[in-house]
Amino acid sequence: MLDIRDLTTSYGPVKALDGVTFTAPKGKITAVLGANGAGKTTLLRTVSGLIRPDRGSVHLDGQDLARMPAEKMPGLGLAHVPEGRGVITELTVEENLRLGGLGRADRSRPADFDRVYSIFPLLNDRRNAIAHVLSGGERQMLVIGRALMAEPKVLLLDEPSLGLAPRAVAQIFELVRGLAESDGLTVVLVEQNARSALSIADIGVVLNLGRLVAQDEATALAADVKLRHAYLGF
Amino acid sequence: MQQLLTTSLTGLTLGMVYAAFALALVLIWRSTRIVNFAQAPMAMITTYVALVVVDAGMSYWIGFVAALLSGLVLGAVIERVVIRPVEGKPEINAIILTLGLFVVIHAVAAIIFGSGFRSFPAPFGLRGFEAGGVTIALTGFAVFTICSVVVVMLLLVALFHHTDVGLKMRASAFNQEVSRMLGVKVTRMLTLGWALAAVVGSLSGLLIAGGNLVYPSYMDSVVVYGFVAAVLGGLDSPVGAVVGGLLLGLGLSFVSGYVGSDLVALASLAILIVVLLVRPAGLFSHATARTV
Amino acid sequence: MSSVAFGSLTGRLRRTPLRRNLIGGLIGLVIVILVLESVSPFRQGQFATMAYLGIAVGGLTVLTGLNGQLSLGHGALMAVGAYTAALMLHNVEKPLPLPVIMLLSVLVTVVVGAVVGVAAARLHGPYIAGATLAMAVAVPGIASFFGDTLGGEQGLSVSTPEAPGWFADAVYFLTAHDITGTKYLAYIGWIGLIISFVLLANLSASRVGRTWRAVRDDEVAAELAGINVGRARVKAFVVSAACAGLAGSVMAMVVRIAAPSGFTLTLSLSLLTAVVLGGLGSLVGALIGAALLTFLPQTVTGLGQSLGLTDLQSAQLAPLVYGLTLVLVILLAPAGLVGTIRNAWRRRQSPDTGSIHPQQEATP
Repeated sequence: MLDIRDLTTSYGPVKALDGVTFTAPKGKITAVLGANGAGKTTLLRTVSGLIRPDRGSVHLDGQDLARMPAEKMPGLGLAHVPEGRGVITELTVEENLRLGGLGRADRSRPADFDRVYSIFPLLNDRRNAIAHVLSGGERQMLVIGRALMAEPKVLLLDEPSLGLAPRAVAQIFELVRGLAESDGLTVVLVEQNARSALSIADIGVVLNLGRLVAQDEATALAADVKLRHAYLGF
Repeated sequence: MQQLLTTSLTGLTLGMVYAAFALALVLIWRSTRIVNFAQAPMAMITTYVALVVVDAGMSYWIGFVAALLSGLVLGAVIERVVIRPVEGKPEINAIILTLGLFVVIHAVAAIIFGSGFRSFPAPFGLRGFEAGGVTIALTGFAVFTICSVVVVMLLLVALFHHTDVGLKMRASAFNQEVSRMLGVKVTRMLTLGWALAAVVGSLSGLLIAGGNLVYPSYMDSVVVYGFVAAVLGGLDSPVGAVVGGLLLGLGLSFVSGYVGSDLVALASLAILIVVLLVRPAGLFSHATARTV
Repeated sequence: MSSVAFGSLTGRLRRTPLRRNLIGGLIGLVIVILVLESVSPFRQGQFATMAYLGIAVGGLTVLTGLNGQLSLGHGALMAVGAYTAALMLHNVEKPLPLPVIMLLSVLVTVVVGAVVGVAAARLHGPYIAGATLAMAVAVPGIASFFGDTLGGEQGLSVSTPEAPGWFADAVYFLTAHDITGTKYLAYIGWIGLIISFVLLANLSASRVGRTWRAVRDDEVAAELAGINVGRARVKAFVVSAACAGLAGSVMAMVVRIAAPSGFTLTLSLSLLTAVVLGGLGSLVGALIGAALLTFLPQTVTGLGQSLGLTDLQSAQLAPLVYGLTLVLVILLAPAGLVGTIRNAWRRRQSPDTGSIHPQQEATP
């Protein structure tokens, strides 16, 4: 599980994250919700080491990741699928996956392509295609597959539904749900599309202007109409 | 006819060397988005290292290896110490920085090794092959030049497309942030990129020097030709660097042979202007619209 | 005078750039006269050198600092000006009046500058650096190719023109000193510098200057605002070329020769060093840079000799210092000497302006 305490990050005088504290339980999906600019992406980028926090801690398996550089994260079991997906379009599908596998902690066994290809048969069909030619939904599968190649314990997903047709979104979400359940993967899912996110999440966390304003089981949040209107747009 | 053949062969051989230099520039451009104008004096000073070794009585090949190794170290040190602070900053900083390095390395070489002209050995001989009573303008050294550049290119292809390190280097060049997120130590890859580029540059330096005179400014025009070749092929494209180098070598050889050797630099400038006006992204670039 | 009246006087002075620059120019002229009249002929020669370097650096700093175009080929443009002047002063019995020669040099260089400027207008960053680098490398070859007219490797010798009678009289009237060849050249150089700097300062403060800065800062925004980016860049290039041409013509007279060896890549890079050191865009910085270029080599060479280096080696110390300066300025003080001081001054005046920039990334 991922234990975040008092995480605070500033851009100059502006606090993008202010004392955020919550725990993402193992094997469950924690949805991070809120309006644009609420700090959701900053949260993920701080956890994954791209941004240095002012203060606070991020504990995974007893280790504080808060001030570690991004390069160390895959080796510690944390994978981040960024906003905009982060496909390296000049490389092939298989090269993207292989790259993901290079970051895994346990180098005693070869990288597990078979597993990822069985989860995403489509990637297997297109393994030698240049990633540039993939559609949005296919790219999303590629980056999740790439993250899985590192055999992570924690998966951070930033707006996977962006730009995808509803059917593709549903597919992706179902897949993530399955991974959390079967692998005991701790998933932190940032989404603008709060309604869909809450439909597959176990826990929901709501940010507003960098602060955590609500934390509850997903079903409870989805039922709280006042909260939804105030912060979630539906 | 004879002159046509001679000019073409000379052009091709020279073109190979320009291709190698252009390749060095492209390697650095791809990874750090910097044009390393200092590549020329860097190659020059590693050639002087070889010269020192050879003058001390050791074989050419030991000098050859010494030059390449010193290039490797020089490239790594320069990236780590001098260039690292300006990566990601406005590009004018890096340009001025590499020009400053250009001048510094020049002056250091002149102080340590003197400004005089020194001759440099060329293995495999400088006489053309005989065929049917006619001497072809292809010397043993020219064959060596072509072969060594081809070998280096094949090695680079193998490195970049069939090794993990190569994959990491390519990924770092294409998308630094994502690569970091996947666990790639991007800064280390950048250093490695500069080191490899410097080795390729050193090779060009040795090949130009063979059978010719070595002096602190002898590589200066090569950085211009290498740059033009790289732009011609597309600064992002290693294949383009090779093709651009060959085309430029041929073109300049014809200018030298049929117009006058004094105007070669001007001809390269003219080619550069034409390329930048007609097809700024170069022959082999990817489609992304880019302002030049 | 009450403080209020004084304040309004300086306020009025400050409000019109033209007036301020003209007054600055006049003060400069007075200083020049005072200095030139009190130093030895050797120093006068050095000041003459500083003058033409200052003109070239001034033009270049406007091009690079205000308009953002980096040129490594201004040594080549100086060569154009120098050779033009040399052609008119080489083995000529009765040369044209000096201002005419200098004007013609400027015009020829402006034409060349326009051609190069049009080609360069679309180039950015390393492309324009590489293209102008090619230009700098190509010049010696051209001079050799047209060896008959341009004197080849030896170059064209230039006989120093004599000061016209009225000028000698004017100098005697003002300073009670006679005019020598060297002093005449120094005056020519500095008058040229003052005129060009006043013009550059006015351009810089005018709408043209603002256009240039807009193009430098954000091309897309400038285009959207209706500025013809290409034309603005060509204009800037041409202005800097004019300065280089003027500088070249003075250089030909001071050095008494126009030869390929005088216009190496080192010259262009030295000009760049002076620009960077003084701070891109600063005319004051340009003067400081030119002073360093003029007076530093002697000091540094002397230092080298006292350290036991040979003459040849000591001669390399000046370029070494230039290169190190470029490297260190970029690494330590990217705004240049003058720029850094100016920024520090500004920060002292308004301590509350903090800039909002993203948090530092965690480094490995």
